[in-house]
Amino acid sequence: MTGTAALPAGPARIPGPGTSLRLGDYARYLTASIFVGFCLFPFYMVLSTSVKSESDIFSWPPAWVFELTFDNFYAALFVFGGTGVLPFLINSLIITALSTLLAVGLGSMAAYGLTRFRVVGGNHIFFFILSTRFAPPVAFVVPIYLMARETQLLDTHLALILIYTSMNLSLVVWIIRGFFEAIPVEIEEAAQVDGYTRLQIFRKVAIPLVKPGLITTSILSAIMSWNEFLIATVITQNTASTLPVYLAGFSGSMGLEWGPYMAVGAMAVLPIMIFTLVLQRHLIRGLTFGAVR
Amino acid sequence: MARVKLTNVGKVYPNGTSAVRDMNLEIRQGEFLCVLGPSGCGKSTTLRMIAGLEEVSSGTIEIDGENVVGMPSRERDIAMVFENYALYPHLSVFDNIAMPLVARRTPKPEIRERIRGMAESLGITEHLRKRPSRLSGGQRQRVALARAMIRRPKMFLMDEPLGHLEEYLRIELRREIRSLHEATGGTTFYITHDQEEAAAVSDRIAVMYQGEIQQTGSMADLIERPANRFVAEFVGEPPINVFEGISVQEGRLEIGDCRIPLNTDLSDACRLQPPGSAGIRPARLSVAGPDSHGLSAVARSVQPMGEWGAVLCETPAGEATAVVPSAALPAEDARIKLVVDPDHVHLFDARARNIRFAGN
Repeated sequence: MTGTAALPAGPARIPGPGTSLRLGDYARYLTASIFVGFCLFPFYMVLSTSVKSESDIFSWPPAWVFELTFDNFYAALFVFGGTGVLPFLINSLIITALSTLLAVGLGSMAAYGLTRFRVVGGNHIFFFILSTRFAPPVAFVVPIYLMARETQLLDTHLALILIYTSMNLSLVVWIIRGFFEAIPVEIEEAAQVDGYTRLQIFRKVAIPLVKPGLITTSILSAIMSWNEFLIATVITQNTASTLPVYLAGFSGSMGLEWGPYMAVGAMAVLPIMIFTLVLQRHLIRGLTFGAVR
Repeated sequence: MARVKLTNVGKVYPNGTSAVRDMNLEIRQGEFLCVLGPSGCGKSTTLRMIAGLEEVSSGTIEIDGENVVGMPSRERDIAMVFENYALYPHLSVFDNIAMPLVARRTPKPEIRERIRGMAESLGITEHLRKRPSRLSGGQRQRVALARAMIRRPKMFLMDEPLGHLEEYLRIELRREIRSLHEATGGTTFYITHDQEEAAAVSDRIAVMYQGEIQQTGSMADLIERPANRFVAEFVGEPPINVFEGISVQEGRLEIGDCRIPLNTDLSDACRLQPPGSAGIRPARLSVAGPDSHGLSAVARSVQPMGEWGAVLCETPAGEATAVVPSAALPAEDARIKLVVDPDHVHLFDARARNIRFAGN
């Protein structure tokens, strides 16, 4: 470690390795660490409990040092509920992926149309779109259940995909709208003169320019779909149930099996966390566009 | 190469603003026409209507005899350069220039060949792989020019392309724009509010004000034969001297204490339409000693500018500027006479029309 690596001068002073830290810096880092530790502690408990044996889980004071065991993961994957966690994990992945894709795809098209064309009552439409989120979801549960029953979509993936897509749409439309409005109209006019149709302009010019917005809304939509419990538990019985429904099942009939419970919890967190971290890297790169003037 | 004809073109915005009124204008084949006017005069709206980016409220626009009203931009075979360059920020310079060719499914080897040639002639070869954000303003506008010129369109539309650039770059680029226009032989419609730029690049200038074309002609026409008071005041540097409160009696024009004999045609015209004001270009005033015949004046400020100098004077008829050879510059606060050349006095009637040319 030479400590001479030239860091690009950012707005905040970040002490590099080798630079001497002053007392104030230590205090600040200590405060930050305590706060971060406090926030992450529950997550640490989930992860550590999932790899503890039953006796370690219930020891008091908590066992900080313990023997690693993957029995809980084994139980969660292959033993519990007869089928294990795998079918539910796959359901969650399918439903989250498709509903996110649909919401971001349809939502960006709607936002583009509403920002670029003179639509009768355009602003009222925007308000209407947001207003679909005003009422608490609980208020919709019964009607949605009845609708799913009448259309014979109970306990199907399609039902949850449709519901989550429509729930996410308003968020996508509202966020992406701001991104489209930030594109100078001249860029799209230049494309019109250059010989492109509206649809081509949308695909080749507008969409690449709102990439940060697409990523942001994808992350938010995916998190929402991944974690949604209320509607999933009402609409699905078994074949289309998602992870949150499966997780809730633990506290039911067979008493609480803390080890496997926490193992499933860990497995529920990881995919969405990886998805977010991967996309986030593009987000930072995407935000540095802007070369109009 | 195209011929463009605007017939009775009007534009009323949804909020009721009338931006362009009953406009008739013809751009000849291969011509470089400049539209000159203050901001908000409707010149950009006119260009955008020709480009197909703005709907036409009334009248017709013909390109090569075909009415293009209602035709989408992409089918009009035009190219446009924007004031803020409007490059695609997510594409490299090469891909930016290639966009019009890609839209027309030009084969890749040909695209590469043409971009190489174009980049060389504009001196941007070393930037082809960069994103526009890494270029300077002058380089960006060169890229925008390359994008417009790459596809030999029927006509070029340029909306204040040099507006955002520094003085020295403007002079350099306007020379390049002119030579590109000549090399491609295209028809160019160019918008600016800078009269020096208009004079430097164009074949013909159309002066626009309040949604109407006031006059078209060469720079010399606009200076020597302004159709009305607006053109006289807007064109020319330093601006024309305008004297209010004048009168014509017995074939003589009275400005302050000075009486200028007018020729019979003009004095006859003045009998029909009494003039309300008179305009004299600073270069058409000469400085003479206090005993000469002319408009008495006191030289308040003298600004030598090399071979020529400007004299700011106070006269009984109001302030006046004269541009005279440096050798003839008076001393400050000197009492002088301003001698008026009667053939270069512009008289404006009650509707601000130039009486001398109002009959045309």
